[in-house]
Amino acid sequence: MKCFRLQYTFVKVVALAAILFANSSCKQETTGEYHEFHTQGHVEVVATVGMIADIVREVGGAHANVSALIGEGVDPHLYKPTRDDVIKLQRADMVFYNGLFLEGKMGDILVQLARTGKPVYAVTEAILGDAEYVLVNDSEHFDPHVWMDVRGWIKATEVVVDALVTFDAMHRELFEAQGAAYIEKLKTLDEYTKTVMKTIPEYQRILVTAHDAFNYMGRAYGLEVLGIQGISTESEAGVKDIENLVDLMVERQIPAVFVETSVADKNVKALIEGASAKGHDVIIGGELFSDAMGPSGSYEGTYIGMIDHNVSVIARALGGEAPAGGFQGRLNLE
Amino acid sequence: MSWYTIDTWIVIVGVLCAISCALPGCYLLLRQMSMMGDAISHAVLPGLAIAFMVTGSRSSIGMFIGAAVVGVLTAVFTQWISSWGKVDRGASMGIVFTTLFALGLLLIVQAADHVDLDPGCVLYGAIEMTPLDVFTSFTVAGVAIDIPRAAIVLLGVLLLNLIIILAFFKELKIAAFDPELATSLGINAQWMHYLLMTLVAITTVAAFEAVGSIIVIAMLIVPAAIAYLLTDRLWVMLVISAVFAALSAVLGHVSAIGLPHLFGMESTTTSGMMAVVLGVFFIIVWLVSPRQGLLRRQIFGKTVASKEDLMHE
Repeated sequence: MKCFRLQYTFVKVVALAAILFANSSCKQETTGEYHEFHTQGHVEVVATVGMIADIVREVGGAHANVSALIGEGVDPHLYKPTRDDVIKLQRADMVFYNGLFLEGKMGDILVQLARTGKPVYAVTEAILGDAEYVLVNDSEHFDPHVWMDVRGWIKATEVVVDALVTFDAMHRELFEAQGAAYIEKLKTLDEYTKTVMKTIPEYQRILVTAHDAFNYMGRAYGLEVLGIQGISTESEAGVKDIENLVDLMVERQIPAVFVETSVADKNVKALIEGASAKGHDVIIGGELFSDAMGPSGSYEGTYIGMIDHNVSVIARALGGEAPAGGFQGRLNLE
Repeated sequence: MSWYTIDTWIVIVGVLCAISCALPGCYLLLRQMSMMGDAISHAVLPGLAIAFMVTGSRSSIGMFIGAAVVGVLTAVFTQWISSWGKVDRGASMGIVFTTLFALGLLLIVQAADHVDLDPGCVLYGAIEMTPLDVFTSFTVAGVAIDIPRAAIVLLGVLLLNLIIILAFFKELKIAAFDPELATSLGINAQWMHYLLMTLVAITTVAAFEAVGSIIVIAMLIVPAAIAYLLTDRLWVMLVISAVFAALSAVLGHVSAIGLPHLFGMESTTTSGMMAVVLGVFFIIVWLVSPRQGLLRRQIFGKTVASKEDLMHE
């Protein structure tokens, strides 16, 4: 008898839950109505990382409403999308991602989204066709950190312009004009970077960072790049790698190493201690933005500001010359 | 908090997954081998790796079969070691599943390093992503319905579990409580054991993708444990565990998307919240259960239910 009453209660609970569930289901909004954007006058765009969102913001202007999934200081290699991200992606008119396996855990979702007919673009798709350009590491993985070379990011901008024009041909001229203006700015930034890097004494053009994110920058602007974490993933060998790096730093009298905003800095600290034990003082040259930009709303929260910051910080720490305000006078490095 | 199509599918997948796990979970609990689900969910790794190497694809029926086969082997090896050596069942389970898990790790590192068998996904699952993997679509009254692959797979597993349990209800029950009696009645208790282990392996592998290898243990054990506190009839226990399992999926997802928003945060992981809800259910039932609850025991100082009652219903 007791059991029966118990079951009856359960039936009631289940019925209640079912009613709640059905009610809330009525509120559900269907996806797939994304071509209605013309009534609102703008394209809803979702980008995976801030650097890409920044391009879309510049090119799309008032006609694009952009949001980035992966926020400041977050490592995109390890980012796991949430239910809210999936909804943002489903409701977007267009989706832009970096590609080259930067968004390691989001690859499958992006493929599935593209399969539903939504415009999904990898901004590195133009680069991928150029086998000479794409860097590959020891274990034959692509190096995704293309934005570190401003010319690589100009190619990404061209992909965004083409995609926006394809999606919204009515605003073709606007997108092309704003894209061209942004590319002009990027070219100026590229020139600034080249000039500033050349002020570093040649034997000191070595960039030691927490992980291997700066290879494109190194190749484009003549820096030797050594990432502590990128060299080896095995921890036993890691100790040996750090010793080798310390020897190299002492030998070549490298004045500074760099930490990154989205990577833990314990390996960098180990380097500094190792060098100081051998009588060579190394300083932390500054914090670089590698896989994520600075706080949104700040200058470092834009792509240009991020690169400007990195370049100016590196040059000043390694014995080169860069204005304290960076290339637009908007940094504050003093 | 707003509700989207994807939420409905997450809840449906969650409910199917939780009920699929709860049914074989009841038998595991009664046979005092609850952690078999843990063992199997870890031991399937070499099966996944070998199947990947053979078929070269990540989302294939091959991986499912590979994992299920290794899952059953786990149960077989555990049985062998504990019956032939001087090793109790818990220890032999520990030997078998850690060895198989390690073998799977070695295989993945050596031969399939480029495979993105993501440890995070293995641990927590990716139930939020399952609605995107559409199996088939059709239109009813102008509304497009995309049925996720996970929902189809889990529905199949649930039906399989239901059919087997209904078809072998008596045999499974007697074999669970008294293998010797079962043998004297002409039931092959050993065979029933492996049948149950096959169900657990298939269920674990199917649930793996949705809720991950840790949360699946909660799905197997906790609804069964709750039901065991409330009844001593096997079929009632199965029904109650299924109801709590389904409730945990609904409340789990609603809490996962609702609670963090109250504090201005983004939604959290549904599978984790489902397990938390189950834990809360268990504590409540454990305190107030009319038969074995802590409160009742404090007042009357005795418990009533026993395995024998369950047996002779």
